[in-house]
Amino acid sequence: MSPGSKRSGKRSGDTDPVPAIDARKLTKRYGSGTSLVKALDRLDFRVEKGEMVAIMGPSGSGKSTLLHLLGALETPTSGTIALAGENFEGLDDRGLTLLRREKIGFVFQFFNLLPSLNALENVMLPALIAGRRDPKVEKRARSLLKRVGLARRERHLPSELSGGEQQRVSIARALLLEPELVLADEPTGNLDSRSEATVLDLLSELNSDEGHTIVIVTHDTTAAAVAGRVSFLRDGRSAGEVAGGDSAKVIRAFAKLESPASKTKKRRSSAKSPRGKR
Amino acid sequence: MRSYTAVTLRQLSSRRGRLFLTISGIVLGTGMIVGVLLLTTTIQRTFTDLYDSIYGKADLVLAATSDAGALPEDALARVRTTQGVDSAVGQVTAVLSLVGADGPGAELNAAGTTVEGQSYSDLEIVSGRKVRGGREAELEASWAEANGLQVGDTASLATPTGIRDYRVAGLFKFSTGVDFGGEGFGFLPLGEARRAFGQPAGWSEIQAVVSEEGTGAVDQVKRRLDAEFGPGVEVITPQGKSDQIQSQLQALNVILYFFAGMALFVGGFLIFNSFNMTVLQRMREIGMQRTLGASRGMVVRSVLTESSTLGIAGSLLGILGGIGIALALITLLRSIGLPVGALQWTAAAPVAGILMGLITATAGSLIPALRAGRIAPIRAVLGSEGLRSRPKPIRAAIGICLVAPGLYGAFTLGAADQTTTAVVAAGIGGIIAIFFGIALLAPFVVSPLSRLLSWPVRKLAPIEGRLASDSARANPTRTAATATALLIGLALVVGINSLGSSFLNSIEREFDRAFARDLTVQPRGLNPGAGPQQSLAPSVLGKISDLPGVAVATPERLVATAQLPQVAGRKGNGPQGLLFGFDPSVYDKVDSSQIDTGDLTRAEAYARVGKGALTVGKGYAEEAGIEIGHEMLLEGASGVERAPVVAVVDTILAGGQTVSMSLEKMARVYGITSDTQIAVKAESVDARAEVKREIERLLEADYPNLTVLSNDEIKSEVESQISQQFGFFNALVAVAILASLFGIVNTLSMSVLERTREIGVLRALGATRWQIRRTVANESLIISLIGAVLGISIGVGLGWALLQGLAAGVPGVVYSPPIGTMLAVAVAAVLLGLIAAIVPARRAAKLDVVDALSYE
Ligand SMILES: Nc1ncnc2c1ncn2[C@@H]1O[C@H](COP(=O)(O)OP(=O)(O)OP(=O)(O)O)[C@@H](O)[C@H]1O
Ligand SMILES: [Mg+2]
Repeated sequence: MSPGSKRSGKRSGDTDPVPAIDARKLTKRYGSGTSLVKALDRLDFRVEKGEMVAIMGPSGSGKSTLLHLLGALETPTSGTIALAGENFEGLDDRGLTLLRREKIGFVFQFFNLLPSLNALENVMLPALIAGRRDPKVEKRARSLLKRVGLARRERHLPSELSGGEQQRVSIARALLLEPELVLADEPTGNLDSRSEATVLDLLSELNSDEGHTIVIVTHDTTAAAVAGRVSFLRDGRSAGEVAGGDSAKVIRAFAKLESPASKTKKRRSSAKSPRGKR
Repeated sequence: MRSYTAVTLRQLSSRRGRLFLTISGIVLGTGMIVGVLLLTTTIQRTFTDLYDSIYGKADLVLAATSDAGALPEDALARVRTTQGVDSAVGQVTAVLSLVGADGPGAELNAAGTTVEGQSYSDLEIVSGRKVRGGREAELEASWAEANGLQVGDTASLATPTGIRDYRVAGLFKFSTGVDFGGEGFGFLPLGEARRAFGQPAGWSEIQAVVSEEGTGAVDQVKRRLDAEFGPGVEVITPQGKSDQIQSQLQALNVILYFFAGMALFVGGFLIFNSFNMTVLQRMREIGMQRTLGASRGMVVRSVLTESSTLGIAGSLLGILGGIGIALALITLLRSIGLPVGALQWTAAAPVAGILMGLITATAGSLIPALRAGRIAPIRAVLGSEGLRSRPKPIRAAIGICLVAPGLYGAFTLGAADQTTTAVVAAGIGGIIAIFFGIALLAPFVVSPLSRLLSWPVRKLAPIEGRLASDSARANPTRTAATATALLIGLALVVGINSLGSSFLNSIEREFDRAFARDLTVQPRGLNPGAGPQQSLAPSVLGKISDLPGVAVATPERLVATAQLPQVAGRKGNGPQGLLFGFDPSVYDKVDSSQIDTGDLTRAEAYARVGKGALTVGKGYAEEAGIEIGHEMLLEGASGVERAPVVAVVDTILAGGQTVSMSLEKMARVYGITSDTQIAVKAESVDARAEVKREIERLLEADYPNLTVLSNDEIKSEVESQISQQFGFFNALVAVAILASLFGIVNTLSMSVLERTREIGVLRALGATRWQIRRTVANESLIISLIGAVLGISIGVGLGWALLQGLAAGVPGVVYSPPIGTMLAVAVAAVLLGLIAAIVPARRAAKLDVVDALSYE
């Protein structure tokens, strides 16, 4: 996997040799015996600082699993992950929790805002969890809401916001503590095409203008095309990658991935899986 | 699976974890019912057996209407010559206490009688022989064993004339074979008993055998004896005696059933809450069943089947628990001095238990079942979305309409001086109405209260506190129902202890006002009104008077009576109360009670008492409309007299149901000659301590069953008696509180389940396990604090209403809030909240982040 692409951010891999993510030989197995599932199989994955990478692949190919491992929500069966040069290995639950808190921002498919908190409070949530209560936090939360175009909706509850707006709040929330890495699992999976476009534009701007390192999982080739690089997964293994930007190229590569030969494989792998996520 | 019902039952077993939480209230409630039923059966059996044994052969028993009263000497001859009486024996009785090496010990109900007299009882000698004469005693075998006495041993007994030593001549067992919970019985030879009890003539009790068989004959003889002796003497069958005790225990039974009912009520509440939650949770599933063609009725029936199955399962467990509760209650009752035999089984207990469990579970689930029936098929698609409706204002209206008459019901209960069924029903109905009303009102106060109560939590832990309080407010109905279940127990504790604290404070205030004495000498453990009591040896008085520094030592005689004297010419019997005998010539020196003497001076009034007049307690005077100048009719075992009332005494002793007279009059009319206690006044304040030491030295040497108490010590004695009684009540309420604890756990588990995804988000955003735990613990705290705040306020209201009622009959009792109890309740609520949170909080903290995030 080579670094760099036309649309990667200011702080490209060339100027900073330490990658944002360096994952080696990642393996994640679920279950055992006949129900054994290899969600990831000795996968190497690397993201440079300031890069925006999209992960694509058929259902059950291990995209979410990879994201969960990168986000320290789960621990790999084997293999190593280093976040900005810092290895996860040996961290206990508390260590992983603090790492998530300080270094990683999440954007979920179902937004996952707390229904009883208003937009501003939802954005401030990570700081509250971290026990930071200085006025600067609130200032930053406000400016982030302004940045995602929701300055006038601060006091609104999630139930009073549209899906796209909720997702923008959740993006602002992910950025509050200036994480090393923003992870988004199908952030537009639940949105109509207009909201989808806004959210995607926002993410790519955050990457290109402000240098945030972003990894997004998506099924949607237009979404993937926004990224600087698209990495394909199949059966828990890497299935090549293409540079982003050109959506025609991405579509072609994706179609190849979904070709009849690999489809049988895919069916087998999803038949093995004990539970479907979607 | 063959039927729709089978689907229902399959569902039950799929939620095994929460099943126990759901039925815990039923288990504890039916446990109480079964326990109380077994207890009352046991008590009943104890007394029936007791009187069967003691009065084995006797058809009729004659005794004075007042506790320590004596029948005149010629009474025995008069009974024997009454037509229809075959034979009769007399005995004298007293309560003695065993003097061991380490001071006074167990009390012994001793009877002095002849060998013939003994043959009336149904007992058999198990070792040694019957008493014949001289200083020997015959003791009930299990009591003797418990106190380490065998035939041939010497037993030192504190008698009304001092310590006397007895050789144990024999041990006997009652032929019914029941032991009486440590209560002691024994016989002395008649002559010795007369000397020891200081009763040279007269009888405490006469037993008669009727010559003809059949109740008709017994009734006839009873009527003849009634006519012969008048109302001062009670003629009663052994069965009647047992019935009488039963009816005296009626009040206790009512209290026991009341608490059992409350525990069950809480149980029903938990069922209600739990089923409400499940119906909401299964909305989609039920909607789906409706789309598949299940009718409303089927859905309703399926919920009811589920709940009744749980009800039966819960009550089966409850029956087991009930046996434990009965055993615990028996131990408790023995500890407050009620003789209770070994546990008796009755088939009625399990039947009632299952029935009550079934009814409670079904009633509790009725509303959720109907709600389930109303679920529209579209819910299969929508789930419970958009259903979080706010409680409707009509609820509040109904709630208020229930609380107000409920308080009135409680007032009625307090005001009654006889616990008739109607009064008890009004009271219990009232209290239940209050709780129902509160349950309806509670959802409205949950939101503001939880915001208020979570304030300190939010200050300490902004995010956890905030989330916890939101969680509590998100579902006000559920939070309210959970808090209400807790509130019931807490309110009962506060309400009941309000009575205790008010009485205690009022009594202490009266003591402060009325006690001009410095010291009081009395038998240890004196408790007038709780059956026959020990009395003082006459020689004590003289010895104390002779001590240096003693200005006045004067005896007081307190005797419980079933019938207080009535105004002459009025019909009917007087109420039960306390007869009080004192020496009016010196009493003023030791007592400064407030007395209304009309036109007379205090000294003049006392002088009139010395000449035979009476004073009457304010409670009795107001209730019966007795005024100064009224003529009262005194009908005792030894005579009948009339006497005028010269004063009304402001006392709350015995609820003000008292009639006082001179010692001579008491002896003449009622045959009461022994002193209950001695009031002592020292020559000066400085001499007090020395006098007390002197008296202590005297008692230690010669009268170890007696004790001398300063006024403060008397107060704390009364306090410990009251708190012992209320401790018993508190123990009963604890069962209801325990049940509500499980209710909180249930609600929290539900809340954790509902917020699984939220917990996942928090964890993903960097919340530690510990923070998640705190959120759950905080929600628990908020619920339990709402319960405590409401419980304390309702309890104060309840206590106040009960007390207003009581004060209507006992003038002078003033409400004083049980501060200690209120603090204890608040602390207990915090602890309960934390305990309830342990398991749900751990479960929440252990949730796998990825699983939680994908939870729907
Ligand atoms: N907790 C789990 N237990 C067992 N198997 C799991 C678990 N989580 C994921 N899997 C399996 O691992 C494989 C990869 O799952 P993953 O969720 O990463 O796929 P995905 O690429 O995100 O698919 P989708 O596009 O459908 O979201 C699948 O076969 C899945 O069934
Ligand atoms: Mg996925």
